[in-house]
Amino acid sequence: MNISFKINGKAVTVDTDPMTPLLWVVRDELSLKGTKYGCGKALCGACSLHVDGELYRSCSLPVKYAENKNVTTIEGLSENENELHPVQQAWMDINVPQCGYCQPGFMMAAAKLIEEIPEPTDQDIKENISNICRCGTHPRIIKAVKKAAQLKQSQKVQSDE
Amino acid sequence: MSKEETPEKKKKGFSRRKFLKNTGIVIGGGSLLLYFGRHKLRTFAAGFIADMDLPSGVSNFDPDFWFEIMEDNTILFKSPKVEMGQGIFTGFAMLAAEELEVAIEQIKVVPGSSVNSANDMAGTGGSGSTHSLYVSIREVAATMREMLRMAAADYWKVPLEDIRAENGMLLKGSESMSYADIVKNTEQWKTPKTPDLKLASSFKYVGTERKRIDLKPKVMGDAIFAIDTEIPDMLYAVVQYPEYIGGKLKSVDSSEAESTNGVIRVIREDNWVAVVAKNRYAAEMGKKALKLEWDVEKTWQQQDIDELVKVGNGRTVKLQDKGSASSVIKDDDIEVIHQEYRTSLGVHAQLEPNGVIADVKEDKAVIIMGTQAISFVKRAVSKAINMSSGKIEIRNSFLGGGFGRRYFKFNAPEAARISQILGKPVQVFRDRESEFTDGYFRPSSHHELKAVLNDDGTVKAISHTQATGDMGIKLAAGKMGMNIMGADFISAGHGAKFLYDFPNKKAYVEHIDMPIPTGIWRGVGMFPNGFAVETFIDELARKANTDPIEFRLKHLYSDDPIVKRMKNIIEILRDRSGWNTPAPEGVGRGFACGEDRKTVAAAAVEVQKIDGQIRVTKVTHIVDPGLVINPDGVRQQVEGCIMMGISASMYEGTYVKDGQMTATNYHQYPMASLMDTPEIEVIMVEGSAKPSGVGEPPIAPMAPAIGNAIFDLTGERQRKLPFQLT
Ligand code: FES
Ligand code: FES
Repeated sequence: MNISFKINGKAVTVDTDPMTPLLWVVRDELSLKGTKYGCGKALCGACSLHVDGELYRSCSLPVKYAENKNVTTIEGLSENENELHPVQQAWMDINVPQCGYCQPGFMMAAAKLIEEIPEPTDQDIKENISNICRCGTHPRIIKAVKKAAQLKQSQKVQSDE
Repeated sequence: MSKEETPEKKKKGFSRRKFLKNTGIVIGGGSLLLYFGRHKLRTFAAGFIADMDLPSGVSNFDPDFWFEIMEDNTILFKSPKVEMGQGIFTGFAMLAAEELEVAIEQIKVVPGSSVNSANDMAGTGGSGSTHSLYVSIREVAATMREMLRMAAADYWKVPLEDIRAENGMLLKGSESMSYADIVKNTEQWKTPKTPDLKLASSFKYVGTERKRIDLKPKVMGDAIFAIDTEIPDMLYAVVQYPEYIGGKLKSVDSSEAESTNGVIRVIREDNWVAVVAKNRYAAEMGKKALKLEWDVEKTWQQQDIDELVKVGNGRTVKLQDKGSASSVIKDDDIEVIHQEYRTSLGVHAQLEPNGVIADVKEDKAVIIMGTQAISFVKRAVSKAINMSSGKIEIRNSFLGGGFGRRYFKFNAPEAARISQILGKPVQVFRDRESEFTDGYFRPSSHHELKAVLNDDGTVKAISHTQATGDMGIKLAAGKMGMNIMGADFISAGHGAKFLYDFPNKKAYVEHIDMPIPTGIWRGVGMFPNGFAVETFIDELARKANTDPIEFRLKHLYSDDPIVKRMKNIIEILRDRSGWNTPAPEGVGRGFACGEDRKTVAAAAVEVQKIDGQIRVTKVTHIVDPGLVINPDGVRQQVEGCIMMGISASMYEGTYVKDGQMTATNYHQYPMASLMDTPEIEVIMVEGSAKPSGVGEPPIAPMAPAIGNAIFDLTGERQRKLPFQLT
């Protein structure tokens, strides 16, 4: 079955079983490898991405639900390499990743979080991001989310001026 | 403590013949030209020293290519050790830049493959990469710099002294040439004697805070892991391994699987079944449709495992015997303090499941994967497809976590067989269920500790016996090696001995043949042994009515350098963590320390009950890994060990039920999340001029320190991992 949607601003059509998890379509049909497989059961968050601005765990979202929608993955989070999304900038500043495998999922979750809660506390971050990291980057993730929120605020102030 | 200002002991030097031979550049007179002629970029390589320390495992059998100078004057560093998050690429780049006289940004580190880089026989692990290659990398880099200088001297026809190497450029007065230019203009290379290495006092990079060199790709989402690799016409396959402990494949009904949309073929090999499909989803659906029957000799239960893994049931090897611990402890008139401890089976749960791409042709096989041990993979693949190992190339990638999982357990042989049968490239990937249920687990363990105290509350005699399954010996040395050694004291024995200056002390490791494949897990024996020993020490301190830190310091007085370093960090930690200030209401405090591979570490932990649940709220951690190459790299490893320590001690365990493992995915194997992140302070001390490992030793104090803090808070002693919290 043909299914069309936009991914990182680009229109695509894929011919696939509509029940195929969006994760596999993004990774294997569209060759965007930044979105990761960790558990396949919506438990770890490695596959997190945005569909029409909402956060989803794409391993458990059949591709048919993306039809005619806008999908954003880690590759499309920043406008370009030089103007990083506040989350990615903060991740660079805090030197967050270790193995790096869980990080795209965390960053997608963080991007959504700072939209919902512009000035998150440690507790907000702890309660709202349930992704798994085995390398133990947790302390840096919490720091980086707060930093990202600050960067976002200051960007906003700048663009308002 | 200050870094000693001693120059590295001078190596015999690369003899010209040996150096060139080891680089693989010269085999007979004309090959140097041939080599350069073949490669347009005129790569050249600096090879390896013949008399290197063994522990790195990097050997000089095959062409050993370390560095390639690229046309744009960047330097490709083909690392024999793999990056799995531990920051080794960053540390290596810093060491190389130091002697190459280039900006660190000029160095690009990539994982070496089995044919294009230095051969690594030992694999990446044991916290040994930096330690074992600290001198060698700099020697190779310095030698290459000198080769470039000599070539530049010849080019300009001036004495060598007139040539300086700076920032990737060769300078003669005001004239300059890039490294790449000189490579282009050089036909005949000369090799120097091994040059003197820089003294620590003139290090430019070593010891400075550096962001990871793999940071940007990992933030942008374009770091490539094995599972991300694609090659043209690649098919996808999933493998079903035995579903029961000791299961032997009896019958396969694959009709439904074969008729699943997208499935191409079902392959049955000796004890596994693979479903090959044109995409992953189809492969997974096909696997779900398999109907398999397994012959099972015994249906194992957790109780059987617990009864088996028990002191007294295995072959014993003595690790330590000082004084006369046995006779003191046996004396009937003396009160013996006796405790037992247990740890559960654990899984690695690294976030990237194993994925292997195999492309097997008539006379060549390419395997792309993320492995901690290229040489083991090569051997296994060679056997599986009956091809000489010279025809097999293993390419490594970034690893999405290792922790020991990728040392022995891989699906390369299966992938190679499937590709060989199909005559097509295939990616074989493990789903999370297979990662969780198909070994090699951290073995469970049972510990018996006994001690006798003197009247003044000091330890008169102590003994520790640990019973556990195999962690690596059987896998590395085979059954025969195992029989010779008796027990896996090399891996399992980490942390089993007593560092303390007890007059009578004794430690044993007992090998238990477990029915489940078990292996190495971050820290190997350190994790269970550290828990048992340091909890027992805490119990002794309480018995002696002594502050737990004071109690330890009392027993650290000898001149042994490690004992001195341990004493030093404990004192610093005591003062920095506020140990001697009264704990606020509702806060429990615990302390523990551990030594592993010449790195000493200690932690002071605070726990509180929050909403009815005990949580670690503060960790002050101190580590002395000798020379620190990259402080932020060390900090990351310590943070990782803190979080993994919290996770493994508070939550993690997998158990056996009706012949199967209870944890099949993350929901059945609870782990630390952001909720469990405490306030963390990491303190680093450099008690030696040489670096030792940081990937594992910092985990040593975590479990016992937390357990001791829980006791302080609740009065309930934790003698089992994971903790039994109500
Ligand atoms: S892979 Fe989707 S949540 Fe783990
Ligand atoms: S950085 Fe490795 S799993 Fe999070």
